[in-house]
Amino acid sequence: MNGPALNGVALKGRLLDLVLVLGGLLMIAPLVWLIVTALSQPIDAFQLPPRWIPRPPTLENFQQVPDLIPFARMAWNSLQIALITTAGSLLTSALAAYAFSRLRFPGRDQIFLVLLAALVVPVQLTVVPVFILMRWLHLVDTSVAIWLPALVNVFGIFFLRQYIASIPRELDEAAIMDGAGHFWILFRVILPLARPGLTALGIFVFEASWNNFFWPYIFLSSPEKMTLPVGLVSLQGAMGGGPAVVLFAAITLVVLPILVLFLIFQRSFIASIASTGLRA
Amino acid sequence: MATAVAELQAAKQATPQQRRDWLPGYLFIGPAVLLFLVFVAAPLVAAFGLSLFHWDLLSTPEFAGLDNFRQLVTDEATIRAVINTFVFATASVVTHIGIGMLLALGVHRTMTRGTKYFVRTAYFFPFLVSWAAVALIWKYVLDPSFGLATHYLSSLGLPVTNWLASPTWALPTLIVVDWWHTIGYTFIILLAGLQTVPAQLHEAARVDGANAWWRFWSVTLPVMSPTIFFATVITFIGAFQIFDPMLIMTNGGPDGATQSIVMYTYEKGFQSFEVGYAAALSLVLFLVIMIATGLQFRLSRRWVHQ
Repeated sequence: MNGPALNGVALKGRLLDLVLVLGGLLMIAPLVWLIVTALSQPIDAFQLPPRWIPRPPTLENFQQVPDLIPFARMAWNSLQIALITTAGSLLTSALAAYAFSRLRFPGRDQIFLVLLAALVVPVQLTVVPVFILMRWLHLVDTSVAIWLPALVNVFGIFFLRQYIASIPRELDEAAIMDGAGHFWILFRVILPLARPGLTALGIFVFEASWNNFFWPYIFLSSPEKMTLPVGLVSLQGAMGGGPAVVLFAAITLVVLPILVLFLIFQRSFIASIASTGLRA
Repeated sequence: MATAVAELQAAKQATPQQRRDWLPGYLFIGPAVLLFLVFVAAPLVAAFGLSLFHWDLLSTPEFAGLDNFRQLVTDEATIRAVINTFVFATASVVTHIGIGMLLALGVHRTMTRGTKYFVRTAYFFPFLVSWAAVALIWKYVLDPSFGLATHYLSSLGLPVTNWLASPTWALPTLIVVDWWHTIGYTFIILLAGLQTVPAQLHEAARVDGANAWWRFWSVTLPVMSPTIFFATVITFIGAFQIFDPMLIMTNGGPDGATQSIVMYTYEKGFQSFEVGYAAALSLVLFLVIMIATGLQFRLSRRWVHQ
């Protein structure tokens, strides 16, 4: 306690803390309400004023989710697509980033610039032609249509190139002296050193894929092929005023894993987000 | 062009030692470049081509010249969508940068670890939630009969309405929901920028007798300007492509009040199957983003410190 020393400045600081905390509570209120409602008995849910503590909490609503949508199937689709997208795009990005930062070949810088320029091309522009292509390949309504185009990640190439550029060249030069090939150098020397960057990018890509709505919504139409976000939205139309508590339970199941994942990897996730701004 | 020629000459004179990197170089960028050509470059070219045709995906495409573009400038729904998108993007940039900056300044002070952790996490959490979930949750939060927002606002004595069904309020409501969803990203980026401002600079300004406001104006803002610029461009581009909340929460309504360019493109391309017209619309989106980004870069020379 610094009681007597609590002067005007400190008081102002406490007040500001209070405002920020209240604002923070407002920010998470809808999410808390979501989870509390999902845990409530159907009769207790949607009471006004809202009951912020479910009594007693129940998992009944969660058990009913599979009656509405093939939840496990959709979760598997989401997970599968997110994992393939993450692993695949990290691989293509790491390979390209290594070439762009370490190897010399004609046209290297021009190709890199063309890739970068494509960052301003909105997916909405490419979605119609890609849809036509996928239809021609009979890949509409398959998970391939979702992850295959996502395997090229220009931001990831750019991000890893910056990261690899910060690793001292002496290390790979020493490996070249020892007769190592580029694959060996990339996977044994560079990537282990770039692990924080890879982790950050990986979490970023995984989260984006897990939450992606626009692309899967366009390409997936049968319930057993859908990812969770698309499945949730399809539920909205199909239920026609059905049990909203069950919908809340389903939404909770989609939201909670990502929130938990975030709390575990918070440091590298925040770092990856922050670096997108700093490296620009 | 000149550099390409020079490079070609340099390449001819390259020693075997230097040529050794060529094959691995092309092989390593191969997968990314191939995918890029198939899923970004070719579709980009195809979109230009498609915009010159009438096509419903089933019958033979019919060459239309500039018909689709002519239709564009006279179609009232398009003009409406463009205006809505501009309003949305402008409001989005102003509220994200303005409030995001206040938040970053508020958190970048000495405060207890726990408070800092809570505040940072709380503002960031919504960014982690899929738009699909955000839109569904907020439909319930805003529900006129049992929604949280309606309840608390009216108990504070504030006027309430059926926000999403009101032609006046639907778009501002979506702006608020979008702000809630993405402010965490802007906030973290601005906070990171703020942390790069060297403390010595502040100290020096303080010694010179500058007050807090002047220190912010003459030290913090100039040092942070590249970050603010980046956040502005990213927010603008993202807002311009807004689609998910329109589709899930309002379906572009009521009466076109929340129709965005992408939402309208989706309707034309995937609901009424006017593929050529949809391609023309998406080109307009592309063009607007390019012009706006270019303009921001140009203006940035006046205020962003390099």
